[in-house]
Formats: sequence, structure tokens, C-alpha cells
Amino acid sequence: MSTEPNLVTITINDVETQTPAGGLLIKAAQDEGTYIPRFCWHERMSPVGMCRMCLVEIETPRGPMMVTACTTSVADGMVVDTESEEVKKAQEAILEFLLANHPLDCPVCDKGGECPLQDQALAYGPGESRFVEIKRSYEKPIPISELVLLDRERCILCARCTRFSDEISGDPLIEFQHRGNTTEVNTFPDLPFSSYFSGNTVQICPVGALTAKPYRFRARPWDLQRVESSSLQDTAHPRIEIHASQNEVLRYTGVDNDATNHGWLSDKARFGFEYLRSEKRLTTPLVRRDGELVEVSWTEAIDIAASRLDLIKDEDGGEALAVIGGAQGTNEDAYAISKFARVTLGTNNVDARLDDALASHFLAASVDRATIDDLDDADTIVVWAQDLKEEHPTLYLRVRRAVQELGAILVVIHPRVTGLDDRANHKLIYRPGGGYELLDELASGDHPEVNHALAVDKVVVLVGIASHADGPQLAESVAALVRQKAGNTKLMPLNSRANTYGALDMGLAPDLLPGRVGLDSIGCANLAASWGEFPVVAGKDTRQILQGLDSGDVRGLVLVGADPINDLPDPLVAIDGLDAAEYVIAIDLFLNDSNRHADVILPASGFSEKEGTVTNVEGRVQKINQIRPAPGQARPDWAILDDIATRMGVSLGLPTAETISKEITTVSPAYEDLTWDTLEWDHRDGVVVPIHGAQAINHIPVALQGSKAPKAPLTLHVGRVMYDNGVRLQHSPSLHKLAPGPVAHLNPGDAPTIGAQDGRTVKVVTNHGEGEYTCVLDEGTPPGVVFVPFNQEGASSLGADPVVRVTVAGQ
Amino acid sequence: MTTPLLITRRMTDHPGDSQTIVRYESTGGYAQGKRALGLTRDELVEEIKTSGLLGRGGAAFPAGLKWSFLAPERPAYLVVNADESEPGTFKDRQLLERDPHQIIEGMIITSIANEVHHAFVYIRGEYAKPARRVQTAVDEAYAKGYLGGGIFGSDYDLEVTVHLGGGAYICGEETALINSLEGKRGEPRLKPPYFPAAKGLYMMPTIVNNVETISNLPHILALGGGEYSKVSDSADTGTFMTSLSGHVNRPGNYELAHGITWRELIYEIGGGIPDDKQLKAWIPGGASAPWFIPEKHLDLEISKDATAAAGSMLGSGAVIVMDEDTCMVRAAERLVRFFAHESCGQCTPCREGTTWLEMILRRIEEGQGRAIDLDLLVDVSDGISIGLAWPPKMTTICPLGPSAVSPIMALRDYFRDEVDSHVVNGGCPLKSGGATPQTPRSPGDETASEDGRSSDPASPDPDRMPGESE
Amino acid sequence: MSSWSESTQERATEIIARYPEKRSAVMPLLYLAMAEEGHLTDAGMEEVARWCEITPAQVRAVASFYTMFKRERTGRYLVSCCTSITCMLLGGDEVLHAVEDESGVPHGETDDEGMLSVEHVECIGACGGAPAVQVNYELIEGVSPTQARELVRWLKRARPEVVNSDEMQELFGARRSFDWGISEEHGAIGPYPAFQPLGTVGSEVSE
Ligand SMILES: Cc1cc2nc3c(=O)[nH]c(=O)nc-3n(C[C@H](O)[C@H](O)[C@H](O)COP(=O)(O)O)c2cc1C
Ligand code: SF4
Ligand code: FES
Repeated sequence: MSTEPNLVTITINDVETQTPAGGLLIKAAQDEGTYIPRFCWHERMSPVGMCRMCLVEIETPRGPMMVTACTTSVADGMVVDTESEEVKKAQEAILEFLLANHPLDCPVCDKGGECPLQDQALAYGPGESRFVEIKRSYEKPIPISELVLLDRERCILCARCTRFSDEISGDPLIEFQHRGNTTEVNTFPDLPFSSYFSGNTVQICPVGALTAKPYRFRARPWDLQRVESSSLQDTAHPRIEIHASQNEVLRYTGVDNDATNHGWLSDKARFGFEYLRSEKRLTTPLVRRDGELVEVSWTEAIDIAASRLDLIKDEDGGEALAVIGGAQGTNEDAYAISKFARVTLGTNNVDARLDDALASHFLAASVDRATIDDLDDADTIVVWAQDLKEEHPTLYLRVRRAVQELGAILVVIHPRVTGLDDRANHKLIYRPGGGYELLDELASGDHPEVNHALAVDKVVVLVGIASHADGPQLAESVAALVRQKAGNTKLMPLNSRANTYGALDMGLAPDLLPGRVGLDSIGCANLAASWGEFPVVAGKDTRQILQGLDSGDVRGLVLVGADPINDLPDPLVAIDGLDAAEYVIAIDLFLNDSNRHADVILPASGFSEKEGTVTNVEGRVQKINQIRPAPGQARPDWAILDDIATRMGVSLGLPTAETISKEITTVSPAYEDLTWDTLEWDHRDGVVVPIHGAQAINHIPVALQGSKAPKAPLTLHVGRVMYDNGVRLQHSPSLHKLAPGPVAHLNPGDAPTIGAQDGRTVKVVTNHGEGEYTCVLDEGTPPGVVFVPFNQEGASSLGADPVVRVTVAGQ
Repeated sequence: MTTPLLITRRMTDHPGDSQTIVRYESTGGYAQGKRALGLTRDELVEEIKTSGLLGRGGAAFPAGLKWSFLAPERPAYLVVNADESEPGTFKDRQLLERDPHQIIEGMIITSIANEVHHAFVYIRGEYAKPARRVQTAVDEAYAKGYLGGGIFGSDYDLEVTVHLGGGAYICGEETALINSLEGKRGEPRLKPPYFPAAKGLYMMPTIVNNVETISNLPHILALGGGEYSKVSDSADTGTFMTSLSGHVNRPGNYELAHGITWRELIYEIGGGIPDDKQLKAWIPGGASAPWFIPEKHLDLEISKDATAAAGSMLGSGAVIVMDEDTCMVRAAERLVRFFAHESCGQCTPCREGTTWLEMILRRIEEGQGRAIDLDLLVDVSDGISIGLAWPPKMTTICPLGPSAVSPIMALRDYFRDEVDSHVVNGGCPLKSGGATPQTPRSPGDETASEDGRSSDPASPDPDRMPGESE
Repeated sequence: MSSWSESTQERATEIIARYPEKRSAVMPLLYLAMAEEGHLTDAGMEEVARWCEITPAQVRAVASFYTMFKRERTGRYLVSCCTSITCMLLGGDEVLHAVEDESGVPHGETDDEGMLSVEHVECIGACGGAPAVQVNYELIEGVSPTQARELVRWLKRARPEVVNSDEMQELFGARRSFDWGISEEHGAIGPYPAFQPLGTVGSEVSE
């Protein structure tokens, strides 16, 4: 990056100002304090100069010239008039033109009260229209997707939505149609605007032409309470504003910040709030009596929970107890869980990862961890991970931009098509389970184009589990290889659950302590000063805990916001473990398959119902906020655990979330100085916590070892897609219906041998399970691969075995 | 008047077969294309600069200067603009149909001068026959080795693709044309930054020249730039094609030297007005140009500067003549209707303003005019072309929108009475009859059904998803 | 998985090869799609999208921009009457009315049989021979209202396989913008321009 940008001097309305060379006039004026009205210009998209609202005059040797400020770059000595008579005439004219055909239905329009057209008509408009002809009219409104409605006559054709879907999200499904006065925005018939990012177009539409079904007619903007927060439905924790009315969350909007999301949100992050008001929320403590769950008071529930945990601890020690979960809450929750497990229960059997994750050290403490911003600087970006579009939508947008706008080279390695392929300079496809073979090939110089792309200065590698058939270690080997090949490598290890990184930073792993401290390090001693005694031998991870439950080594389990049966790629382990468990306490928002049989179920507060901090995929800590009370008697995780601990006679000393946050800053050097105040006032976009040199763990397996792809004619590839049967989605009706359901993707070339037909049912059989799926014939799935999206309603478990047979159902 | 014929010489002398390669070569054709291979880029550009050749597509930009601006990145492209769609203009059609090899040779010269190896001819879609003639000529040239790999036995490769438009006047605008050729909507691009010579086709440096401009090149090389510049006595060099149409006895295309007067053109070359009627007005340079009237302009010289000084332009060279019985409201409506129909729709003032003008004019024509309507027309025009100056101070991306203002200016300046009498009369006081066809709709254009409502996409039920059946 | 005939697919491959980038072939392929089905259907646009590797919405954005890609049922003969300025001055509106009256098809519509579509169009570059009419983009200049009626009757009666400018000009036209030169046999076989590289001309049917 260059140092100081060159400054030029320009004069706006007789005031001289300095502004970076090459910038757009509209932005330079805005920075200087002169607002030039606009509709089509959007800072995050390329200018189109279509609405003509931002006309200004600049001086030229041939006299004043009218230009659009949104398409004109500043030049040294430029003299600009934004208020001349001619400019005013132009602004009035443009507004009169825009309003000529615009219906004046503001009272029933969702945008009323926050509508740029309304506001600018007041500020710059002519006051009345002289248009007496018949207005354009359309049938209204038309649903262009399950989430978005379009009122075409309100549209002012600013091309923001079409540009967004084409330039930013990469799915040009809405486009201008026809021309001239009949131009309209629309989809192709029968091909809805089914973008994962469609809601952004609603947010950036400068009129009420695009509206969101989940919000339509629900509120007037002036009635809304607002608070800023960060979304926990996306690993990058995009910044959002929560809007609520009468204690009900009505919408999230994206906040434009440079650090993460640039204002954009996936539809999952934007519309994933309906579950908060679900009727099915748990609102009172429940305990099992004679096989039935009955409502009890908090005191009673805590008593029961604490005494059983105490009993097991007394009989078999802390190792007989375990905690799973904590990746969905705040850092304060996670810290409380961590301290509760270690200090109160006396166990290191604690894990926030659900068996589908990379090693905790690798995830939390790789020294060369990349920030999201590093993508903008990268020469080459390697994505050997999950399909970012499905699982890491903000990263997907940022990688897209880095490649498309900033010219990075993109290498994508994955067993099938991914959302980034259209931008990839190099794409390698491999058989699920064949990751190590491919890695060997790369190491020995095969795939010269990819090796060439790595021979640059700055490489950012996004690694994660691209295929469960290869296991989590592959990612570490990938990282090792790239480090070896490339100059300056930065790494972004990926895990899908939103606050996994915060949870790991708080020590929610069997071998980590708060502050990314290993059990054997000096940090351990530091912590002991504050925590007192806790076990220092590594505990069990999620899989081992579940196996321990099955074998009886582990007797009691605390589940905090976790549903292993649905979250594990191999649910059989979870089912067996939970069936065998002697005693289960669950803290959650909803009943789910895993906690349905628990002995005690405690209702928890959800997102927007509590304050705290969270840590995103790059280690950025941000503040999240409360806007509504939790329903019924639900309480924050940390408070519940603090009560149980007190009742067990080992107080955690954590009476408020803010106290926890203070304690975190003292015990965890990485989080030093990160108080709530700092985050509220000085760093609204958060702070990336540093990797502390001395304590960081740089865990690099050097040898490339591993399995080979199975020789079977068909291999199973299981992967997450954006919409699944996760508990929050399950209870968010607008999004839940977007899930594909139980489907199996096959290459059309494989269909004839199997006899499979698109849309018909097929049976998929592995050594561990079988199930019926709707067949999707799909060129993006390579021959010999069966792709089954994970955790879909009605899908049965196939286990983790990659060898698979597919038959036509009924045979 | 003796007119030196250059680009129409062959078709005049050999009306039977001027389009064939045999005739072309037997009359000296392709000699200059071959010769150009031996000249450097600088020599060629210099020759064209010396000739003073101005672009014939409407903007009259010096061709040599345009070439010299070509950015250094490669590949570079050449696009011959054969989208000719401006009402009144039909000169390029004649060149395309009657002397296509002349265009190909011009393309060879232009390509060599600009290091182009892939050139395109963008022909408007309605010109099926001209496109066939050009394609046939291109095929002949390929067969002879004048196009393709190693032209004329050299190591210079040149591919030519003939591309047919889809029916959109705006694609004549060079950046809209480039978008169209890229398979996009024909929407003009922003200038800056998308000057074709810098960022044109596929964002690479691109020369766009008009058919007539290109047709002149073999003659400039043959004569030498200096000699060519002396063909006309006027400051505007060479010859120019004018398409004369409307109320004249001898309409048609004429290749002329600049410097004659409008009186000579209309009364001598065009043979005057049929039935010896009075001349009422004429449009001097295609539908976009401000109108001229006999009282003020008949003895002006036909040249770029003289026309500009009088507040108009020679534009595409089309001259449309209107006699005393012409209803000026109707003529204005017809021209404005054209621009409204052809607006690409990007810019607010053009999209909304031109249609609004059309609606008001139609209302006046149909006898529903109001006393304030002329002022309203002028004020709406003012919003499209701030200050109503010439050349226009545009509020738009391209000059199409402001072009629609020219007829309104004529009404305001010369025919105010006629507008008023429409208002007072409740319709046209002149005799021209018949109802005006509404904005053109074509079969297949489902947006503009009778009630102006769209049935598109097929989703009458608002709660139904596109694609869901009932 | 193309729905197009083999020869159309070959043609499509050839057309794409003429351009540095696939997307540039959208417009020629839209004509091909029209030639396949007589007008442009949604399926046709989806096919073009596959060939050019863009979305159907992007194809439709292009197709609907231009007037010649007819997305509704269109007659075998598309009669386009110019009513732009010069043709209007010389009676183009009357020619249009004559065509509408004689055929019983108002402009913008198609007869029930699918034989004739009538439209009025902006300037088609024949002002020197105004008023002008095109049948499937084959031009006739200097057409009087009476000749226009004859033209309609001829189309309905003779139902020519191929329509050709030279022939129709002889039969129904008068003054031309300029001398067209020798006649050619190529002509149009549907409501799209007859241009051989697009596969939309009956070069095969030339005698
Ligand atoms: C609305 C509009 C329509 C135009 N139509 C044509 C056209 O049909 N043919 C043409 O050659 N130039 C047309 N032009 C001019 C072109 O943009 C461009 O200036 C020209 O093709 C350059 O060629 P030249 O320098 O040889 O004249 C048009 C310009 C505008 C603004
Ligand atoms: S002026 Fe009209 S035609 Fe030109 S770019 Fe703007 S909207 Fe399109
Ligand atoms: S904001 Fe500049 S033209 Fe729209």
C-alpha cells in the first residue's frame, strides 16, 4: 500500500479544500461537508451516472460545464459550483422527471420516512408536478423471490440492485428489461431472484420498489428503536443495526464498515431474526419427572442440576463430566462456560467445536493469521475450504471483490463447483478423500499454473474442511505447503459456527485456556493466580466426549446451545452418546433432537437479548448489544452457570456480563484493553486481537501424509449449504422454506448407469446408513461424486464413510 | 456545379456490378490496401491528418486525430459504424450495398494504421440486404487472401466479422455500439472514462469510424492527403454525402463538395419543391439538428462552421425538406416520438423528458392543447438541455436526449403561431389528415399493451412466485 | 442438451467462433433462436444463455432492448411500415392505414392464422424513396396506399416461400432512394433479417 495519498486542491462553492487525487467529486464534496444529492451512486459500487441527480458545474476554459459529480474525478485546481442557478434548475428538473411517473403512495410504502426520493424531493424539488398525463402503471407488486417483492412503478431505474447482483454478489438474476420509457427491472420468467444476498438490494433501493417480505408493512421507520450490533449468523460478524418495535425485532440492516462487510449481509444474516419471536422458544426451566418434562422454578431447577453434577463429581471426579457448546453465544458466555468447566466441574472435557473443525491450536492461534483486509492486498488468494458462498458469505463477497476489483489471482480447490468458480483463475477439482494425493501432486510441482500462482509475494490462504472424507488435518498440511511455496503467506483457518473463534479464545477446547494459552505454558500459571486450581491435562474433544458417554467414562454432560445430533457430520456418534448418557443438562433457546431427552433444560437468552463481545474469523472483537428483554424467564448462559456454580459451592464470581468482560481483559493478555467502553466509543468496528508472540502456538505438521481417495465408483461428498435445518433457521419461517431439503446431486453423466432422473427419488446407501433423496442432476458435481447437503429436514444420516451406492428408490 | 465524385464514382460509372470484387479490382481497387502494408503507422496517420478528413458519422471529429489518440495497449479493434438509423439518413446504405469492397479496403488501411487484427462491421439489423452485400464482399476478399491470415501475402493477419444489430438507433452512438457488440444492452457508456480509443471493445483501444469515413480512405491514399484536402474550396475537405429527402423533386444521395449554399442544394440539386410550393423549413443535418427556415438560412454556405454559427449542425448529412403545407406540430411530434422511442432509458431526463414532450405534442395535435403547453414544452426541454443553448449543455450521458429538443426550439422560435392555432382550433388547422400512430409497438413487445400495463413476467397473482403454477 | 437442431447448433458454434468473447454472440444467436421457432421464446433465450454462458435474465435484458427480437407470436410475414419523419411527410401514415385496413390487422398485432404481423417502425433508411415498407426486413420503396393494399393481398394469396426486395420492389414499389444495382436471389423466409451467416436466410432456396 502506498503511504500518503497524493492530495489535490479543489474549490467547492468558493471554499478551497484538499482531497485525495483520483477520488470522485461527489465523495470529495461529501468529505468536505457539501452534500450533493444523488440516487444511483453508491460508494461500494462502480458509478453509472444514470439518475443525473448529482449534476454540478465545473469551470473549464470554455466556461462552466455540467457534469455528474458521481462520475467525475477530482483534478488539481478544479473549481466546482454545486449551487448555481443552473445546477438548481437541473436538480428541480431531474426530480420533476423522476416524480412524473412515480406513484405518490408514500403513506402505504415501506420506504416512507426513510426514502431518499421523498427526502430529496422536499429538499431540492420543484414543489409541484406539472405532469398531467397518465402515469406508467404496472401490476403490483410482483414477488421476484421468496424474500423480495418488486413494485415496478416505484422504481427510478438507478441500477443499484442490478449492479449489486452483477458486480458484488455475482448472480445477475435481475436486470433491466425493455428500454426507454418502458425500462423496468425484472427477473427472467420462472427464474426468481434466488440470490443468497437479495436483501441487500432492498436496503440500497433508494425508493420503495424493492421491499422485503419479512418486514413489509410491519412498521414505520420513525417508530423503530435501533441499536448497533454484529451478526452471529456469519463468521465475519458483519456489522448490523437491529431495529425493533415494542420489544420485537423487526429487521436487521447492514452497517457499512470497512473492516468486514462493507454494508452487505447475506439473507441468512439479514432475515435470520424470526426465530427470536418464535412461539417455540423455551421460557421456563424444565426438569424431567417420570419421563415427562415439567415446568419448575429457577431455584428448583438450579438445585437439581447442581446436586447431580456434584454427585457425579464426588463419585468419579471432574473427568466424568463434560461440556459441549458455547460457539453461538458471546465471549462472556464462553468465558463463563470455560471457567465453570475448569474451576467448578474440574474438567478439561470441554469443546465448542462440533467434531467438524480444524484443530483448536490451528484455528485459534496460527501466528500468520490473515485479517479480512489482507485479502485486498493479496497477490494470490487460495481457497481450499468450504464453499465460501454457502458457509462464509461475507468472506465470499470480500474474496470476490479482491479478485474482481483489486486484481488478485484466485485459486479454488474443492471437490465440486463453488460460488467463486466464475472468478477463479485456477480451479482444481478432486475426489472426496483425494486431498492428500492432490497435495502431493502440488508439492512435487504438478499443476504448474497453480504453483506459478503461488510464486508471488503475498498469498492469503483460506483453509477449512472442503471434504470430510479427508479429515481436518489436511488443512494444516495445505497451510504448510503454501508456506513452503509462497513468499509471504497469511492464513485464515475456517470454521463454520459464528463465534467459534471467540469460544476458542475463551478456552472452550480441551487443550486451550482463555487467551489462546496452551495448558502447558506459562499462561497457565498466570491463570491459576486468578482461577485457583484447575486440571492441567488435556481433556476430551467433542467426539471423545460423546464416545465417553457411550462407554460410561463420562457420566454427565452440559450442553450449551449445541445440538450434536444435527450438527455433527457423523450424527451416529452423537446419537449413541446421548442415548447412553446418564445425566444431561441443556441450556438452550429451543428443544432440539439432542436436548429433548435431557434431565434439566434451562431457557437461555438469545441474540439481541443480551450484551457482550464476540470474536470473528480474523480475531476481530466487536461489541454486540441488547434491544429487547429475553422472553419469559430466559436468562443468559453465563448467569445460569454462575448460579449453578454458586449452588455447587464454587462461585465463579461473575455477577454481570461486564464483570466477565473485565476479568477477560485481565486474565487474557490478547484481550488486554478491550473493554466494552473502548469498543463502544473508540472502536465501533472492533479490534483484531493480536497473536501474542511468546504464547502463540505455531502448529505445523510438516510431513504430508494421509489417505487416498476410495476406489469406489461413487464417493460421497457432504457439505453445508446456506439454508439447513439448524435450530435458528428451523424457527425462521421465511428462511427455512429456502432449504433444499433432502437432495442428492449427481453428475448427469452418472445418471444413466444408475437410472436416476432429475427430480425423482434415489436411495443413497453407505456402510453406516441410508436414506431417500430427491435427485438433482448437476454439471457442477463431477462424475463419480454424490453431493448431499448436510443437515436437511427429513434427511437421514449417512455417516462419514465416503463409499456410497446410489440406486433408484424402490430397487 | 461540377462535383468531383470519389466514393460514388464506381457505382455511378458501373451501376450494374459496382459491388463485385471483379469490378472493384478492375477499377483500381485494393491497390491502396496493399500499399498501406508498406507504410508505417505514423506515415498513415500523418496522411489522414493532412487530408483533413472529418468523421462522417455526425460528430465531425478529425479522423487522423482520432487514430493518433489510440492507446498503446493491444489488441486494438476497429469497428465500422454502419448502424445508420437517424431519420433522413440513408447514405451509408448506398455505400454498403453498392461499393462494399471500398469499405473493406478502407478497413484494411485503418487496421494497418492502427495495428488492428480483428475488425467488425456493425450493420443495423433492418439492413439485411446491405449486410448480405457486405458479407458477400468479405467472403470474396477472404477467398482472394485480402482478408484472413497473411493478407496480400504479407504476414499481417486481419479478421473481419460482420455483425447485425437488433433494431436500436442508440447503437449508432459509438459506446452503445460497443456494448451491443459485447452482447449487452445498447446503453452508451460514460465518457470519461470510456473513450473508445482508450477503453473500447472488451475494454481495449478501439477505433470507431463511420462507413463513409472509412470509404474515403482508399481515395485519400490514392490522391495523397494534400491533394484530397483540395478537392473542395471550403475549409471542410474532400467530398461529403448528403441524403436529401422530403418535399423535393429529386430526393436521393448526393456526393458533393462543401461550400455550396442551401438554396443550391434544395432548388438546383434537389430540383425544388414539388408543385412549386413554398419551402417552410428544413432540417440541415439529420433529425437531431436544429431546423433552418428560408427567411434566415437559405443562402448560408453548407459547411461545418457556417452551420454551427447559425446554431445548427451538418450532423449525419441528412437534409429533410418541408413544404408550406406541413403541420409543424406534427413534424415535431414525429421527431420527438423517434427520440422517445429510441432512448435507451438510462438517464432520467432523456427517459422521462422525451416521453413527456411526446405526450404533450400529441395532446396538442389531438386538439387537447392548453395555452401553457408551449411554455411547458420549452421548460421540459430546458430540463433536458439546460439553458437551451447550442451545442446543448447536456444533463444526459449522450446527446440523444438533448436532440429531442431541436424540434421544440423550432416551434418556439419560428412556429409559435401554429402551435397557438392548434390550441385555439382544437386541432390541426392544416389539412394533413389521418390519425397519428401511437408510439410504435411491435409484435412481441408485450410491455406496451393497450392499457400500458405489463403482463410480464407472467405472474398475475401477486402472491404467486414466478414459476409457480396456479 | 441443446433443444436446437444439429445444423443450428453447428451454426451457433461457427458464430461464436467469429467473436473474441462468447457473449458477443448473443444477438446473432437470438436471431438463430427466432429462426428455430418463428419468434423468440423463453426456451430460446435460455438456450442462448447456455451458449453464451450468461444468465437468462441477462439474455432477456438484451433481447428486450432491441425491437427486432420478437418475443411474441409473430406472423410469417412481418410488414413494417415506416412512419418516421420523411415517410410521414410523404404519406407513410396513409400507407400504414391501408395495410391495417386491407389485412384487418392493427399495428402491433398478428392475425389469427399467424400469417401476417403489422407494425409501424421508425426510420428504416429509405427516406429517398419514401414512403417505405419492409416485409421481413426486405425493403420496398415508394409504396402508395394502393400498392400497399396489393402487397397485402399478394402476401395472403401467393404466400411466397421467400420474400425478396427486388421482386417486391418491381411489383409494389416506385421511386427508389438510389439505384440498387443488379438483383439478387436471396430473400427472407421469416420475420427476421435474411442474413446468411446467422442461418436466417434461405441461401438454399436461391434459384
Ligand atoms: C445518438 C447517436 C447516434 C449516432 N448514430 C450514428 C450512426 O448511426 N452512424 C454513425 O456512423 N455514427 C453515429 N453516431 C456517431 C458515433 O457516436 C461516432 O461519433 C461515429 O461513429 C464516429 O465515426 P466518425 O468519426 O467516422 O464519424 C451517433 C451518435 C449519437 C450520439
Ligand atoms: S441521453 Fe438517452 S439515449 Fe443517451 S444515454 Fe441517456 S437515456 Fe440513453
Ligand atoms: S448519483 Fe450521479 S448520476 Fe446518479
